[in-house]
Parts: sequence; C-alpha cells; structure tokens
Amino acid sequence: MKILILGAGAIGGYVGGRLQQSGADVTFLVRPARQQALQRDGLVIKSTKGDITQKVKTVQKGDEGGPYDIVLLTSKAYDLDSAIAAIAPAVGPQTTVVPLLNGMRHLDVLDARFGKDKVVGGLARVGVAMSTDGVIHHTSPFAAVSFGERDGGQPRRALSELDAAIKKSGIDGGLNPNIVQDLWDKWIMLCSLAATNCLMRGSSGDILEAGEGQAIVMETVDECQKVAAAAGHDPGEKGMKTIRSFLTVKGSKFTASMLHDLEKGSMVEADHIVGDMIARAKKAGIATPNLRLAYAHLQVYLARRARGA
Amino acid sequence: MKVLILGAGAVGGYWGARLAQAGFDVTFLLREKRAETVRRNGLVVKSPKGDFTVPVKVITKGPHGKLEGGPYDVVILACKGYDLPSAMDSIAPAVGAHTTIVPILNGHMHFATLDARFGKEKVAGGLARISGMLGPNGEILHSGASGVSFGERGGGERDGSAPRQALVELDAACRKSGIDGGLNANINQDLWDKWVMLGSIASMCAAMRGTVGDIMEAEEGAAIMGEILDECCNVAAAEGYRISDKVASGLRAGLTQKGGKAVASILGDIEKGGAVEARQIVGDMLARARRHGIAAPNLRFAYAHLQTYEARRARGGLK
Repeated sequence: MKILILGAGAIGGYVGGRLQQSGADVTFLVRPARQQALQRDGLVIKSTKGDITQKVKTVQKGDEGGPYDIVLLTSKAYDLDSAIAAIAPAVGPQTTVVPLLNGMRHLDVLDARFGKDKVVGGLARVGVAMSTDGVIHHTSPFAAVSFGERDGGQPRRALSELDAAIKKSGIDGGLNPNIVQDLWDKWIMLCSLAATNCLMRGSSGDILEAGEGQAIVMETVDECQKVAAAAGHDPGEKGMKTIRSFLTVKGSKFTASMLHDLEKGSMVEADHIVGDMIARAKKAGIATPNLRLAYAHLQVYLARRARGA
Repeated sequence: MKVLILGAGAVGGYWGARLAQAGFDVTFLLREKRAETVRRNGLVVKSPKGDFTVPVKVITKGPHGKLEGGPYDVVILACKGYDLPSAMDSIAPAVGAHTTIVPILNGHMHFATLDARFGKEKVAGGLARISGMLGPNGEILHSGASGVSFGERGGGERDGSAPRQALVELDAACRKSGIDGGLNANINQDLWDKWVMLGSIASMCAAMRGTVGDIMEAEEGAAIMGEILDECCNVAAAEGYRISDKVASGLRAGLTQKGGKAVASILGDIEKGGAVEARQIVGDMLARARRHGIAAPNLRFAYAHLQTYEARRARGGLK
C-alpha cells in the first residue's frame, strides 16, 4: 500500500513519520523549500513517545511516485482549494482520499471534486505543533487518527490496510465504523469551544468567571447539538455529557487553537468551524444566537486583519 | 467662584485649562508626580482650537488629608468609575457645607455612591464631550469636541427648582472660556442619551474587538449594533428617559456607519491590558434591563466578554 501525505506539517508530518518508522510506504507531497529542508535534515520529530529523525520520500507534484492507494489530507480548511489542486494528479481510479480536517464542509467539496466513492471520513486528535525550524513537536500524551466508510458499511481494502499500518505505528484509533458520528461529536465540541473562547477572548476557565459564562457555553453547545440532531447525528446523552463537562472545568486554562491564532493575528477557520454550523442551522430552521455573535466576532477579526490592524 | 478639579487628564485638564486661561479661579488637586510636572510647565494644551500653556494653581493631598485653598464652590470630579472610592477620599476635605460636586463619570452608578457619601443635594449631574488624551510629556492633546453639560438632577428638595448659584456661575465661566454647552435643564436626559450611546458602542467595540467600521464588515454586524442600541434605548425609556427619535436615529447612523472609524476607548484599554469600566457602562445597563424585564441578549454577551477579560487580566493571562 502506497500512502501520499499532503504537506509535512504538524499532523501530516507526525502521522507520516510514525507510519514510515513502522515500515509503511509513505511519500510526502511538499513545496520546494520544505523538500530541500527534508532532504537536508530528514523528518525530525520530538515526541513524548520517542524522538525520530529519518529520511523520507518527497515529491513536489502529485503525479510523481504514484499511483497511491491512500492520500492523507491534513490541510487547514481555508487552504482546501489549493490542497485539492495539489493532490488531484495523485488521485487515480483506485485511490482513497482520507481527509483529516475539522468540521464537515470539506467532505462536500471533496465529493464534488473526486466523487463520493473516493472520499472517506477521517479525523485526527494529535496534540502537535511545528516550530519555525521545521521540527515537529508532539508534546501531548495523545495521538489518534480514525477513519472509516461514511455509510458505516464494510471498509474497503485500502482502509483495512491503513488500519493495520496505523496500529503497527503506535498511533491510536484506526478504523471507526461510526466515523461520521465521531466527526459530528468533535465538531460540536470544537465549534462550541472555538466560538465561546473567541467571542469572549478567554479560556474556558476565564469564561466561567463571568456571571453568565456557563449559561452562554451551555447554550452554545445546545445550538450545535440541535444542528447535529437535524442532520441525524445527535451525540446522545452520553456524548453530550462528555462535551459539556469538558467545556465547564472551573479554572481550566484550556483554549481553542483558534483563539491562539486570533491573538497571533493568523488566519482562522471561521467559515468552516462556525460559519458552516450556522448555515446548516439556518437550513434546518434552528436559532443560533450565540454562534451568530461568535461568527460576527470572527468576521470582525478577519476584516481587521485584512486592513492590517 | 472657586473651582477645584480632581486630576488633570484630558477631560478635567482641558476644561480647567480653558477656565484658567479665561482668568477664573481654578485649582487642580493632583498626585505628587503630576503636580510637579504641572507646577513646572503649567498646563500645556495642544488643540485644534489653538495651542496654549497656562500656569495653574496646584495642590496635593496634605498631611492628615488636609487640603489648601478651600472652601471650594464647585468640585469637578472626572475620574474612572473604578477609581471613585479613592477619588471621593481625595476630594472629601474640599467639600464644605456650600460645595457642589459636578461628577463627570460614565453611566449612573456613581450617583448612588456620591449621594451616600456627601448627600444628594451636593451632587449635581454632569457630563463632558471632550475628546483627547494625555501626551507622553503630560501635555493635553485635545482632538475635537469640547462640550460639557451639567445641571440639577432634581428630586427631593430641588425638584423643579432653579439651578443653584454655583452652577449658574460655572455656566457663565464656561461661556467666557470657549467651552461649549454648559448649564442643562435636562441633564438627566442628556446623561441617558450619552449612556445609551456609550453602552452601545463600548459593548460592541469590546465584544467584537473592532471599530464601528470593522463591525460593519461582519454580515450581522449592523443588525447586532442596531439591536444593542434598541436594548439600551428600551432601558432608558423604562427608566423614564425615552431617547428622542432624533437622537436615536443620529446614534443609529453613527453606530452603523460603513467604514466608520469611531471606536470606544474601552477597546484601547483592553488592548493595553488596562482596567475597564465594565460594570459602570455595561453591567449596570444590563442590570436595569433585567429589573424592567427588558430582553438584552447583546448586552449580556458584552458583559460576559468584559467579565471574562477581567478574570483573565486578574490571573495574569493577558499577553
């Protein structure tokens, strides 16, 4: 099985590095500068699960080195169009695209471009970041990638093989028969966290210090749950309990990465994580007053960023 | 008429400098460091209406809290709401039996505090529309509006009565000093007009972290701004101070101006990591909305935003 990974950034680099370390056939599709650095220094990972420095195969174009059985897509949602353009030449009749993005909208975009049968569901939970020198720092104890057929049916051969490779690599997760529900669960969590952290500009613990903080967080979670339920993917009481308790830990310094991006002046996945949730709510006739304010906050940020302030 | 002004910031400093320039008897009560600068340089004003420097009388808090130069007829109190307790301690020795306090603070919360400390009859209503800031060397950088408004708040013994002598004299002094506005028979309405404006713009510039023009770039920005203005107008009406259609439509136009550079100073305070008048400007408006059963969802978000900011500031979690 040949695996192509778009980019060798934090998540793609970590997952690809672990896969290759355990014997999988991995190629990274990268820009010239990153290719040069990888050829010079190798792929360098500093991790709680052990450091690696290793030579990796790289290509600059999707039509090199194929055909590929699996293409792993780990771009940011706002880079999706250019990511699709980059991988398109690598996607042949037998290729399966495994996107590891947050939210849901990218699936529609990928389906439209490659055909629904080529695109499966996938998500990553890896606490990892890349420093400016290209070193990948995996500082958290968790690293999980899960994927599966979106209709919940029998997994195709490529996914079974990917499952075996992931298990061998020491990454948690693997094949997941409920991947779409998992995507919704994670989106509800992430959307609630990002919306409230950004709108309030504070950690979950800071927000709980405001008189109405907890109520606002709970309402936001409810808004997202209703959207998921309208799509046929209500997480259920147990799933919701996990999400709610995670968001209401007194004194928690935990913040959405979107808030870090906001405070650094970086690009944010506002449309993908919050805007699309609102769009789906509107279609289903669900009121989302909290998400509305949060999305306005993010749009104001983007306007300010665009004018260079 | 003897006037004491607490502090020499942009508002009190500009107002007092103009009064002093016109020859009125003005004294500034300052902290030691600021007093030194002002004694040495006088008050230095850079203004579109003409730059000037004027020497002024300066006092500082003496031993045992005694103050020189009293008794004062008028004490102008221009401080931030969160500094009011210490400001009251500072002016207390200057407040005699015949003193009138003209507070220039945002919102309404300070009236209850001042009334309780000094007696309601000593506390007039007041506000300033003076824009400016202090420069790096303590100079007053006046940037535009230079209006003040003050008057009897009414109620109790003063209900319906003519303004007291001190306010009439202050009015005459302002007119001779090139200060706009002055005595206002409807100061309570003016206070509400200003609070509604400030409550709306401060809430949204803080919660959205942008200027009016930035907020208009969000799809729902104009709608949200219009809603919070409605919330504040509803509170004012319920309190007996309906915002006139003319004022409301003027505010609406300003608050929803495409590309508008207008911004509340609270945003600058937040971005510096400074203290904010969250309760005075937003929290108290929300509390009054609740008391009257008025829906105020946007004020609620804004106040939660500011409380989150304060919590984060308190734990040292700001960059």
